[in-house]
Amino acid sequence: MTTFAMPESIVLRWAQTPGMTELEPYRRAGGYEAARRVAAGELAPEAVIEALVASGLRGKGGAGFPTGQKWKFIPRQAPVTYVVVNGDEGEPCTFKDRTLLEGAPHLLIEGVLIAALTVGARKAYVYLRREFYRARRTLEAALEQARAAGLVGRGVFGSARDVEIVVHSGAGAYIAGEETALLESLEGRRALPRLRPPFPAQAGLYQRPTLLNNVETLCHVPVILTLGPERYKDYGPPALFSVSGHVVRPGVYEAPLGVKLRSLIFDYAGGLRPGRRFKAAFPGGSSSMPLVADHLDVPMDYDSLRVLGSMLGSAAVIVIDDSADMVEIIARTVEFYREESCGKCTPCREGTIWATQVLERILHGRGRPEDLALLEGIARGMTGTCFCPLGESVPPSLVASLRHFRDEYERYIAGATRGH
Amino acid sequence: MATDPAVRTVTLTIDGRAVTVPPGTTVYQAARAAGIEIPIFCYHDRMPPLGACRMCLVKVDRMGKLQTSCTLPAADGMVVSTTDPEVVAGQEAILEFLLINHPLDCPICDKGGECPLQDQTFRWGPGRSRFVEAKRDFAKPVSLGPVLTLDRERCILCWRCVRFGEIIAGDDALKGFERGFTSEINTPFTLPVESKFIGNTIAICPVGALTSRTYRFRARPWDNEPVPSTCTHCGLGCAVWFDVRGGEIVRTRAREAPAVNDIWLCDLGFFGHDYVASGERLTAPLVRRDGRLTQASWEEALDLVASRLRAARDRAPGRVAFLGGRRLSNEDALVAARLFGEVIGTPHRDHRVDAPPGGASLEVAWGLRAPLEEIARGDVFLLVGCDVTEEYPILWLRMKAAVDRGAALLLLHARRLEVRRHARWERLVRADRLAAETGALADALERGAAGPPPGLEAAVAAIAAGRRVHVVVGRFALDGPGGSAVLAAAVRIAEHSGGVLHVARGKGNDIGAQRFGLLPGAGGWPAPEILRRAAAGDLDVLYVAGSDPATAVTDRSAWDAARRGVGFLVVHEAFLSATAEAADVVLPSLVLPEKDGTVTNLEGRTLPLRAAVRGPGAARGDREIFSLIAARLGALFTYGTGDELFEALRAATPGVEAGAILPVAPVPARLAGDVPAGAVAAGAGGGSAELILATIDHLFTQGATTGRCRGITALAGAPHCLIHPDDAARLGVEPGALVELATGHGAVVLQARVTDVTAPGQVLLPRGFDAVSAYALVRWPHAVVAVTVRPLVAAAAGGAP
Repeated sequence: MTTFAMPESIVLRWAQTPGMTELEPYRRAGGYEAARRVAAGELAPEAVIEALVASGLRGKGGAGFPTGQKWKFIPRQAPVTYVVVNGDEGEPCTFKDRTLLEGAPHLLIEGVLIAALTVGARKAYVYLRREFYRARRTLEAALEQARAAGLVGRGVFGSARDVEIVVHSGAGAYIAGEETALLESLEGRRALPRLRPPFPAQAGLYQRPTLLNNVETLCHVPVILTLGPERYKDYGPPALFSVSGHVVRPGVYEAPLGVKLRSLIFDYAGGLRPGRRFKAAFPGGSSSMPLVADHLDVPMDYDSLRVLGSMLGSAAVIVIDDSADMVEIIARTVEFYREESCGKCTPCREGTIWATQVLERILHGRGRPEDLALLEGIARGMTGTCFCPLGESVPPSLVASLRHFRDEYERYIAGATRGH
Repeated sequence: MATDPAVRTVTLTIDGRAVTVPPGTTVYQAARAAGIEIPIFCYHDRMPPLGACRMCLVKVDRMGKLQTSCTLPAADGMVVSTTDPEVVAGQEAILEFLLINHPLDCPICDKGGECPLQDQTFRWGPGRSRFVEAKRDFAKPVSLGPVLTLDRERCILCWRCVRFGEIIAGDDALKGFERGFTSEINTPFTLPVESKFIGNTIAICPVGALTSRTYRFRARPWDNEPVPSTCTHCGLGCAVWFDVRGGEIVRTRAREAPAVNDIWLCDLGFFGHDYVASGERLTAPLVRRDGRLTQASWEEALDLVASRLRAARDRAPGRVAFLGGRRLSNEDALVAARLFGEVIGTPHRDHRVDAPPGGASLEVAWGLRAPLEEIARGDVFLLVGCDVTEEYPILWLRMKAAVDRGAALLLLHARRLEVRRHARWERLVRADRLAAETGALADALERGAAGPPPGLEAAVAAIAAGRRVHVVVGRFALDGPGGSAVLAAAVRIAEHSGGVLHVARGKGNDIGAQRFGLLPGAGGWPAPEILRRAAAGDLDVLYVAGSDPATAVTDRSAWDAARRGVGFLVVHEAFLSATAEAADVVLPSLVLPEKDGTVTNLEGRTLPLRAAVRGPGAARGDREIFSLIAARLGALFTYGTGDELFEALRAATPGVEAGAILPVAPVPARLAGDVPAGAVAAGAGGGSAELILATIDHLFTQGATTGRCRGITALAGAPHCLIHPDDAARLGVEPGALVELATGHGAVVLQARVTDVTAPGQVLLPRGFDAVSAYALVRWPHAVVAVTVRPLVAAAAGGAP
């Protein structure tokens, strides 16, 4: 293997530097300076938003919406505005937000402060995935330190501005990562996605204008303000990739946006296990259409992946080598969506159960030749008809697997048994 | 049609046709307005769009994906197709998805024949299913209470029923549970389902998932003959269809009436028709011979009644009195008033049988003083002693819609109302404090800037800021201690706020009886006085129709004394009621669903009755009976047809028109004097009134009619009283235990419900349970009495013989 020098990280390093869960080391390293400048009025809201726009930062939760644009949408005259942080990180094989929460809670708190001060919110909620027990403890402890130091709560940084930050744990539903379902859950109801419009920027939490950002997105904000958008962009701009599956060194890697899939797998993550060949990879979590060997040199950025019919999503790269059974993987993936479908809309609720039943039947050696067309039909019936992205996530993987790995399905149908 | 140029419109193209609609119209609504049908399941036009079922897909130019037309606002220049092959494929896909887990038990499903899923599958469905897996399996059917059954396998999770409870009724009666394909509808933590409106969820369910336990398997829709008529239970006059099969009403449905009930009905309306077909209906006249009621011919019975009336009239017309009217039609009331007023010449007529002496119910005309549609536009509702969902459920739906738009709901009562979660202000007081509290509120409003006393701030602020204030005074306030003081204070509040004062009083056709002559004439006695005079021997004949005074008069002893004191009691009745049992002649009469004619609702609106079924045996309509008696007294009432009678109504009361409101008399600005507020009679305890007893209204009861409706009887549950937890703890009353309530006048045994719905120091007893009469415990002129509560279990343990 040739020598590969991993580039310097500017976001992830906060979580990888020991001691950053504590306030003082974080401040000594320059932390909270950006938030202080915003609170003191040295950086006007317009300047913050301008910097975000110039940085090209896009939402890291999955949809990739330009962050500066989103902040601009929040009406400035509203009597009550909220900031809500999406820390539900439920996308399978995504673990970058948890890494940041557990390693650099003050970086997130600083991002939240900047967001709240910029859009005029006095209250921010951090919605954490139920299972993030350690992350929650770490974040709560950091919040306590920040509150004691006057950085959170009444009169932050000695200014006349109040920003209260509340941590809230979900109840364990993948759909709560969808921003409007998250708001429903936060308000105490079943996490079901809301109709849009109105968008959260107009009527979000408790029908008030709400700025909703992902954990990682907000962690980029202090970095951008500290370095300036131009220097920030020199780093790629950077993105956090959660690399998992059949690689030697799974983990979170900060790499420039547009890094080649091949480089992520073979340079950053140490390549495949000895003697194995690359088979497929989900580039952006299980909701993204899997890529195959032909795509190894695709740049991992929003547009390049969209052109292929896939997406960067949460930048969770799930690597699959030739030891895996693609039908089993797809069946397991669809089963996940069946399990997590909220049940609100017809095609997602019924399509996921039906597709799972057909896939299970094929895996158990009871497939019929017409089942492949049936699966394509179910996928077609779900495409573009679902209420929210959850259901829409199923057809691309299913269809891609039928296209690229049809022979594996056909082997099952021809009478092969499980584990051939 | 002239268009206001200031009002912008939107023009879009749907299936090649230009459609112009107001801004804010959805594509679905625009298509429907143009006569283009788009299939729907979750969308319901009385609720905001949800976009869940995905059935209403359309293709829109320059939009990549198919769009749900129910959620898509129409925009200028939009080009929409509802027939594009992509749309057809999408709709087929959705229907196929909906059907994979829907049992095809249409042949035994109540919904079959009127099922949107069935209809749309025929019209838009794929024809055959590719589904070969096992269908979703649920235990079925599940009972959600006395009237509601849920079949979860049939449920397509359109969420209409859930949203009805959230948006229309505000009772959250049904909710979604679990997730994904295991999602199901259920009650939130309690069984049975708690609602006054659950029948509507059956009506709007687009499949046979929610069905009626009283209608289940009784008919196929195409076998039913729907008869349009008016519900006559609470007095709001909701438009209904009586579905008749084999000469029997098998189902009641809401009939659309935008001005009254829109498309909704309460559960008393939905399930309150069984009594009509009861086997206990009277089918022949009864005459008392040798102390026993025995069957007689109409000739014999009518001759006897006529002779007794003639004899009394000849002695003095004022020796005859008439009581009742609630269960009569307008036409019945008019003919009764002519018989007793003109032919017999007695001024002693009153329909207000359930009004106590000295209360405010006798001082003021009953009825609402604004149309329901105007009430729906109100911005403040002050309910004083009016339990809106227990008394006039559909009125609440109007208020709920207004509350959702920001109107303030203010509650002042001796019980907590179930709508309290929607209230901006609530004051729970003991019954004997209601007058003082209403007065304090009026005082605070009039003092203005002085600052209201603690606890009244929110109410004063809301009323002061209100521009369309509605003050609703209910029976509990009017008939309670200091009823006149409550009414006078309410008048002041309404005057001060420029609002409307409503007298929410009267059931059935009380307002029609009030309008068409069943009120005391010149020198005539009101109902309590009629009873007092009867007891004193001043009456020869007491004639009762459209009422059951034995259970309705709020002091049972007053009725008993009247009965003992009067020589001859005539009763028109459908059942052998307590009054009928004591009568000298019982004439079997039709009930309102068997009558053609009109009734008058609480707004003063004239509404149609159409005979849905024929009466049993030889039962006759009330006006026919009155006419036959009049003829025997030498007066010929010649109303050939119903139309002629309606003309007579219009002639008698100018302004009466079908469907239109003729307002009831205004509330006098200054009211008569008042009995001292807070007057409580000493009870069995003899000392200070530590615990007082007051009667309240319940929607579901066990009276002569409701007790013969399977669903309603079950909804009503066992007779019970409400006692506060503090009092229960002090007296050793366990929740659900049997207790004896005793006053100086009587005692009853019933179940105690321990709840903070009632104020401390006060036991509430629902009226309308004939088996346990609250009125046996009350003695006029007192509306509330001191009461002692004795747990029966404790008594038994004490070794009482």
